[in-house]
Amino acid sequence: MRCIMLEKLSENIFDKVSIDFLRNQVLKNAYGNNDTVIAALDPRILLLWYLFFGLVPWFMDNVILLLGMFLLVAVTARLAKIAPLVLFLFCLGVFTQTGYLLLVSLFFGGNGETVVSLLIMTLKVAVVSLASVTVFSGLDPDRLANGLEWFGCPERFSFSISFGYRMLPILMEEFQNILLSYRLRGNAPARDTLAGKVKWLVYQVKVIMSAFYPLMLNTAKRSRTTVEALELKGYRYASRNMAVKRIRLASLRLKKADIWFVGLSAVWTAVCLGLSQWVGSGVLQI
Amino acid sequence: MIRIEDLTFTYPGASKPSLKHVRLHVEKGDFLAVIGNNGCGKSTLCKTLNGLIPHFITGDMEGRVLIDGLDTAEQDVGDLARKVGYVYQDFENQIVRPTVLDDASFACLNYAMDEYKERGKRALSMCGLREKENDFIWQLSGGQKHLLALSGALALEPEVLILDEPIAQLDPFHARQTYEILKKLNQEYGKTIIVIEHHTEYIAQYCKNAVLMRDGEILWKLPAREALRQVEDLEESNIFPPQVTSAAWILKKKGILSQNVQLPTTVDEGREVFSPCRFWPSVRRNQEEKQKGETMVDLENIRAGYRAVKGENRPIFDGFSLKIRKGEKVALMGTNGAGKSTMMKLMIGLMKPEEGTVFLQGKNTRKMSPEEMSRLISMVYQNPEEMFIKDSIQADIAYAMKVRQIPDWEKRTEELLELFDLTAIKERDGRLLSGGQMRRASLAIGIALNPGILLLDEPTANLDIATRHEIMKTLKRLKGITDTVVIATHDMQLVCQWADRILVLKEGKLIADGTRDEIFTDSNTAELGIRPPEIYAMGRALSEKAGCYTIEEFVDCFQEKERNEMHYAGEAV
Repeated sequence: MRCIMLEKLSENIFDKVSIDFLRNQVLKNAYGNNDTVIAALDPRILLLWYLFFGLVPWFMDNVILLLGMFLLVAVTARLAKIAPLVLFLFCLGVFTQTGYLLLVSLFFGGNGETVVSLLIMTLKVAVVSLASVTVFSGLDPDRLANGLEWFGCPERFSFSISFGYRMLPILMEEFQNILLSYRLRGNAPARDTLAGKVKWLVYQVKVIMSAFYPLMLNTAKRSRTTVEALELKGYRYASRNMAVKRIRLASLRLKKADIWFVGLSAVWTAVCLGLSQWVGSGVLQI
Repeated sequence: MIRIEDLTFTYPGASKPSLKHVRLHVEKGDFLAVIGNNGCGKSTLCKTLNGLIPHFITGDMEGRVLIDGLDTAEQDVGDLARKVGYVYQDFENQIVRPTVLDDASFACLNYAMDEYKERGKRALSMCGLREKENDFIWQLSGGQKHLLALSGALALEPEVLILDEPIAQLDPFHARQTYEILKKLNQEYGKTIIVIEHHTEYIAQYCKNAVLMRDGEILWKLPAREALRQVEDLEESNIFPPQVTSAAWILKKKGILSQNVQLPTTVDEGREVFSPCRFWPSVRRNQEEKQKGETMVDLENIRAGYRAVKGENRPIFDGFSLKIRKGEKVALMGTNGAGKSTMMKLMIGLMKPEEGTVFLQGKNTRKMSPEEMSRLISMVYQNPEEMFIKDSIQADIAYAMKVRQIPDWEKRTEELLELFDLTAIKERDGRLLSGGQMRRASLAIGIALNPGILLLDEPTANLDIATRHEIMKTLKRLKGITDTVVIATHDMQLVCQWADRILVLKEGKLIADGTRDEIFTDSNTAELGIRPPEIYAMGRALSEKAGCYTIEEFVDCFQEKERNEMHYAGEAV
């Protein structure tokens, strides 16, 4: 019975970490959450907001202030409905950066000072990453590209972002099919023994690397039509014509929600700042 | 509207011109079909009309192309794009934006039109895609993607629309829908439409004129129905006239129809032409009842689906069961997205069912390694490019045998190359071959390991009809190597000629399962556009008892009034 359970479990995990799953997560991350509060905000506001929460925490070393900011970005990240994979990567990132040190020092009974300084470092990383995740995963790529363009990013760059997202699902599906070709026709080493398992892993990595070659060639083949179509759709003209940029960016408009968002963030940060000052002075007096 | 004067064009580096002294006039409001075998210059001709030649693709060009009185050589591509819209054969690569309305209005935006969104919306309404405007591209079916590519071209409000093989990848239901939309654009909006088309039934029904091209030259331009009667010219170019026309032509050659009769191109015309013929039930139709073999594939209570980007995962199959026996030739039909490919993936173990079990020859696939399975079952993808993992087709065919160290793999590779007529091109990369060669190579790869079961996903999609016939011949050669074959297809003629069991899927449910007689009399399947080929309808129009699915059967059944048994016996093989 237990054996079957285990088998099921391992099968489940194997199923989850497939290209199909990755593809789904990428799509989910980019477009699966375009109806959230965050996605409805003006991308320019979000970018400015990110400028603050992506930079300022590095220069702060007050635990209370950082904790407050952490709570705020945790709420915004929750509002943005981030895909589970991204969240997992975030946790993994924070942990490998400093989190593990914090745990180790807690475990070996490090003194308060080390714990606090490590906590500060961990909080900084966490705030900045959650803020990035909120902005880059909460906004769909098109709006993000529009926002960047407004701030003067070259149009080619912002077009590439959205075109990349258009192509990514196709490429990933094709890659998956090529990998399946290898799996169906190839002969993977048996993985009963430890040596076999290592061999199997090496084989899989090799297959993944060699699958890129057909993928590139197929992509080259299909891009011919795309290039001609872009020409017909006047893409080359657009990059020379300033009127196009104006029309494209005309859809960006400040709304009430944007003001609320900025206002609430500012008030909360100010409250945290005040609190940290107050607690700081209180501690000094004692 | 369009005037081509003595046009000769040579691609850079090519030794022969692709177009030779082409002269063509197309009037405003025409619905023109361009026909010809692969590589005869049809696409090149169409690219001279929208200015891609000579502005984007440089080459040696002589002569003039005038659109609405303007010389394309003096216009730039942008101005021409507003006069001539183009939809590619691989239309999916033409869609460059992630959402529907965005893509439809992209060109208008690039040409700095203030009402670009409204234009996009208008174009979408014309193509019946209006309610999809906020969808993402990957949520669309193949047919809808094609309509979106069309909308993208339409948004600029061009006078002329060019479509390169518009229905090659579509199921019959969507193919008809596409042509109905083109008809509307032609009649209501007065667009001039040019299609490159192999499906002569559609030409007979929808087009006004037709041009036949051969080796870069225009042989003739005739009214569409007149054109389809030029059976000899068409066959020489590997174009197959409508079945009704072919059947009448054969009967005429045999002297059964009078020599001065005009060949019919549609069922309605055929009614009169074939009226002198009488129906004789064919003796050949009594096929011996096939011995049902052991169960090869057994799907039991399958539940499977894809992960959704938004919301709940949508199961494609729920409680699905199916048995396939040894020796069966199964055709799997249904609209795009009905679950055909998913079913194949389940059989071959590329996808695991959430619930239920798949058995191959009685063994649970969950307990089998991919290597073990590949000896029992093999699959040929819809897109042959994805099967080429080596840099020559010889290496590709050999790969599976070589890594398994099958004795004599070199000899067997040679045999397969020979069998599929690929020896002369064995050193070439699969991707660079023509459509038919690619298909043959992918079949050879598929059967290299002598699997008992072969799955083919749309083996005739995107092929001209001559190549399709070639593929059908190749399928017959499989006899003795691989007995059980499952083909997912929209190709009604393939189904009628080849299959002995037809499955019809709709939204993950099996709505019909039986022989062709059972399927085509079922009203459920007719709703999905699964109709028997034209020749069947012709037979039925002449006699209630007739059930002819192929031209050969039709010619056998409809003979002159007094039947000549000796004559018949000689023809029957």
